[in-house]
Amino acid sequence: MTQFLSALGYQYWILHVLLLLPLIGVLPIVLAPARFAKQIALLVTIAEFVLSAGLWWALPTESGTMQLQSSAAWIPAWGIRYAVGMDGISLMMVLLTTLLMPLCVLGSFNYIKERERGYYALLLTLLTGVIGVFIATDLFLFYVFWEVMLVPMYFIIGIWGGRNRLYAAIKFFLFTMAGSLLMLVAIIVLAWRVAGETGTLSFAYQHLLEHAGAVGGLAPWLFGAFALAFAIKVPVFPLHTWLPDAHVEAPTAGSVLLASVLLKMGTYGFLRFAVPFFPSVALDPWVTKFVLVLALIGIVYGALVAMVQPDIKKLVAYSSVSHLGFVMLGLWAATVQSVQGALMVMIGHGFSTGALFFLVGMLYERRHTREISDYGGIAKVVPVFSLIFTVVALSSIGLPGLNGFIGEFLVLLGSFRTQPWAAMIATTGVIFAAAYLLWALQRIIFNRLDKAENETLPDLSRRELLVMLPLLAGIVWMGIYPAAVLRRIEPAAQHYVAAARGAQGAYEVSQRGQPSR
Amino acid sequence: MRPLDVRLPLDASIALLPEIILCIGAMVVLLVNAWRHRSAGDSRLAGWIALASLIPSGLAVAALWVGGARAAGAPFMVAVDGFRFASLALILVATAATILLSLGYLEREGLLAPEYYSLVLFAAAGMMFLAGAEDLIVLFLGLEVMSVSVYVLAGFNRGSIFSAEAALKYFLIGAFASAFLLYGIALVWGATGSTSLAAIGQQLGGPELPLLAKLGLALLLIGMGFKIAAVPFHMWAPDVYDGSPTPVTGFMATGVKAAGFLALARILVEAFPHGAESWQPAVAGLAIASMVLGNLVALSQRSLKRMLAYSSIAHAGYLLAALWPGTQLGLSATLIYLAAYVLTSLAAFGILAVLGRQGERDVTLDSIAGLARRRPWLAFGFSVCMLSLLGFPGTFGFIGKWAILAGLVEQRQLALSVVLVVTTLVSAGYYLPVVMAAYMREPVSADAQGVAVLPRPALLTMALAVGIVLLLGVLPAGALTTALATASEVIGGR
Repeated sequence: MTQFLSALGYQYWILHVLLLLPLIGVLPIVLAPARFAKQIALLVTIAEFVLSAGLWWALPTESGTMQLQSSAAWIPAWGIRYAVGMDGISLMMVLLTTLLMPLCVLGSFNYIKERERGYYALLLTLLTGVIGVFIATDLFLFYVFWEVMLVPMYFIIGIWGGRNRLYAAIKFFLFTMAGSLLMLVAIIVLAWRVAGETGTLSFAYQHLLEHAGAVGGLAPWLFGAFALAFAIKVPVFPLHTWLPDAHVEAPTAGSVLLASVLLKMGTYGFLRFAVPFFPSVALDPWVTKFVLVLALIGIVYGALVAMVQPDIKKLVAYSSVSHLGFVMLGLWAATVQSVQGALMVMIGHGFSTGALFFLVGMLYERRHTREISDYGGIAKVVPVFSLIFTVVALSSIGLPGLNGFIGEFLVLLGSFRTQPWAAMIATTGVIFAAAYLLWALQRIIFNRLDKAENETLPDLSRRELLVMLPLLAGIVWMGIYPAAVLRRIEPAAQHYVAAARGAQGAYEVSQRGQPSR
Repeated sequence: MRPLDVRLPLDASIALLPEIILCIGAMVVLLVNAWRHRSAGDSRLAGWIALASLIPSGLAVAALWVGGARAAGAPFMVAVDGFRFASLALILVATAATILLSLGYLEREGLLAPEYYSLVLFAAAGMMFLAGAEDLIVLFLGLEVMSVSVYVLAGFNRGSIFSAEAALKYFLIGAFASAFLLYGIALVWGATGSTSLAAIGQQLGGPELPLLAKLGLALLLIGMGFKIAAVPFHMWAPDVYDGSPTPVTGFMATGVKAAGFLALARILVEAFPHGAESWQPAVAGLAIASMVLGNLVALSQRSLKRMLAYSSIAHAGYLLAALWPGTQLGLSATLIYLAAYVLTSLAAFGILAVLGRQGERDVTLDSIAGLARRRPWLAFGFSVCMLSLLGFPGTFGFIGKWAILAGLVEQRQLALSVVLVVTTLVSAGYYLPVVMAAYMREPVSADAQGVAVLPRPALLTMALAVGIVLLLGVLPAGALTTALATASEVIGGR
């Protein structure tokens, strides 16, 4: 496979094609009659997935640095280049995105009935934006993608969303923008300070990473600006209030993408930029304590709030706050295991929460209600749906053998070595997760079938099965054989930990160097 | 091209060719008006003549710019450098767009007085003198030629009391501002014995300014502050912008503001080279006040025209922040941001003029609700304008914001940078609802259902402006390089 790909020159063009193809796909959608919009979108997204799949083989697994790099001058006056590259982390995020996108298109076939052209064109634009965020290796380019993908999501929520969509859309936009504008200042300050030290004005990731020490006393402020932008996106408690609104009001595909991909951009930002740029600030004991406390609050609070939601979609939305808390814990525990675990949670959460949102959407399309109390006992009526729902819920809980387990287990295992107390508290989150999901399962699928409207629910159609099967396959495969994924993210995780450890080591030395009182 | 000795009549007229052509054009329009001033066709004819006179003027700018025309020896009265040519190009673009937008507008509103177009041309010539002045007297003359023409234009809708109010207010405040400016010029002359910017700069070589020069500088800043509508000299702007005919509002918000800023840039950088000790604190204060107040008050506006008026005050704040460093990067940022702002605002006011429909109804958020269903391209264009004004990536406005931040950060000015981005966030609070109303809300009233007529020249202007805003948002390299090169001429020449 590797030879076949390199014969095609795959590694030279793939990243550019991944960025361009969706944008090119927008053209026929806008020009063709509206009824073809979904077919074209499906075709383009499948092509995108097939093309991106080759990356699984094309990316060398043993290296933790950026691969497949290429760049071209873009704005020479400011030393800005169009530069893309990829490592194991980007690989997983890109594959997750390209896999989910055709499913989102397929899942929207019946849900979106008006202004279809606009909808599918926006989905494709979003695809470009998201992939761009994950592969940009120039901070200007990264920032452009980071902001640009806001617009399609804003429209998707605002036009095709639920009753409260306008409020949710603007809240989503303003929250994200609030963080990213300060990040914009931080990026410029970082680049100019580095330029002052090295004499080259450049926004290249590697260049800034190597010389980020040049910012000196500004480091805490710059880290704060980056961290705020990413923390809002993750979202870290107490910046999470946009999330339930946006997730609940968005159409199904929007919720899936928000939860599975867009939230990961926040944790990706921490992994790629905020922590490696300013490790001595990020892993300062006080900052660590602060982040851990917020992560733990997120884990426990998210789970508790999820438990009391009467609305299924809200329940799933709050469960994201809880899961992403695990990711933050894993990143700040800074052991190879915990970071690998955090990455696994990022990927696993993408599959299981994405699947949950799809399932909730399918229920909603049938009954036009998301109240848990409106359902009950539907296992007899829709057995296939119920089976899939159960499997997905179990994976989200973290049942061994499914994908959710491996990530959370690694996070807990890894962080137990450095942050035992935090790990212990986080463990309760797993229990709570079991509580809210199993309870919800019981009330929706099991119990007594006492609503007449539920007796005629149709089971999953062939199209809906087609949406769920790839996700189920992923859930089972990653649960049984996580090694394939772990192997690919391990070098990147080691890289991250080495940077973080270096900083901690330096900190300990400076502590020891001080005269003892 | 050989160096031009602008003290010789022939060389001076070559250097001033763009201005001269515009003045001739304006007079031709006036002459034609003497015989043909009745029908809609006559008005159109005047408009096309005015437009046609922009072409040779633009060609003259291009020839001077490409030919690399420079002054022989010290600059004298009018600058002959790339910065001036860039300024002239910007003013010509604003003028051309204003004329194109006015063609349909005047007919719709029944304002069939072809003198309108000669006034626009005279105003444009004034702006050109203002922006290119190397001498405070030329600067004042340019300012007055521009202002007097625009006073009349503001009151051009004689049937409307708001238009009359706008004209009177603008005239009174303008006279007031001119007085400040003149007094400032007099004091600076008293301190240095010269009105030439370069000579003043040489006289005030040391970091310590004499008291007289300080006072003069303060009065100059106040006088220009009125023209560019910076807080606290902005009180006139909302009423005047709101009351004037919409294309004129666009002209004031873009052309007048751009010329004012370009002149201010020259005054500050060339005549007062030691900024930190003299004008930087004042400019920073004006910038912060304008950004904060403009954005906060814009939030609470119902009428989109008033909203854009307050937002233009906020943009004056951003531009002052761009001027603050007084470096090559800062000057280039001023130029880039002005270009982005001018293009975007022209398109925005153009769309507003079309949406106003006959009788200049107030365009509110309610009246554009559901616009995307009725006029998808108009809604798209308006949304791009809002995003560009917001400084969103992918639009030229973002490049402008980035340039300003770069200039500030280079000089380690973090306070202004942070105020700038925080107030930008506030501005999202009024730009986004426009996009939201156009795309996400259902039409509210039957009145809003009325179909706006889109004349072809206006359509062309808006399409071009929006296209350029998007294009330069993605590929700004050429524009940036040009801006940096022209800015270095001003910085290097001092």
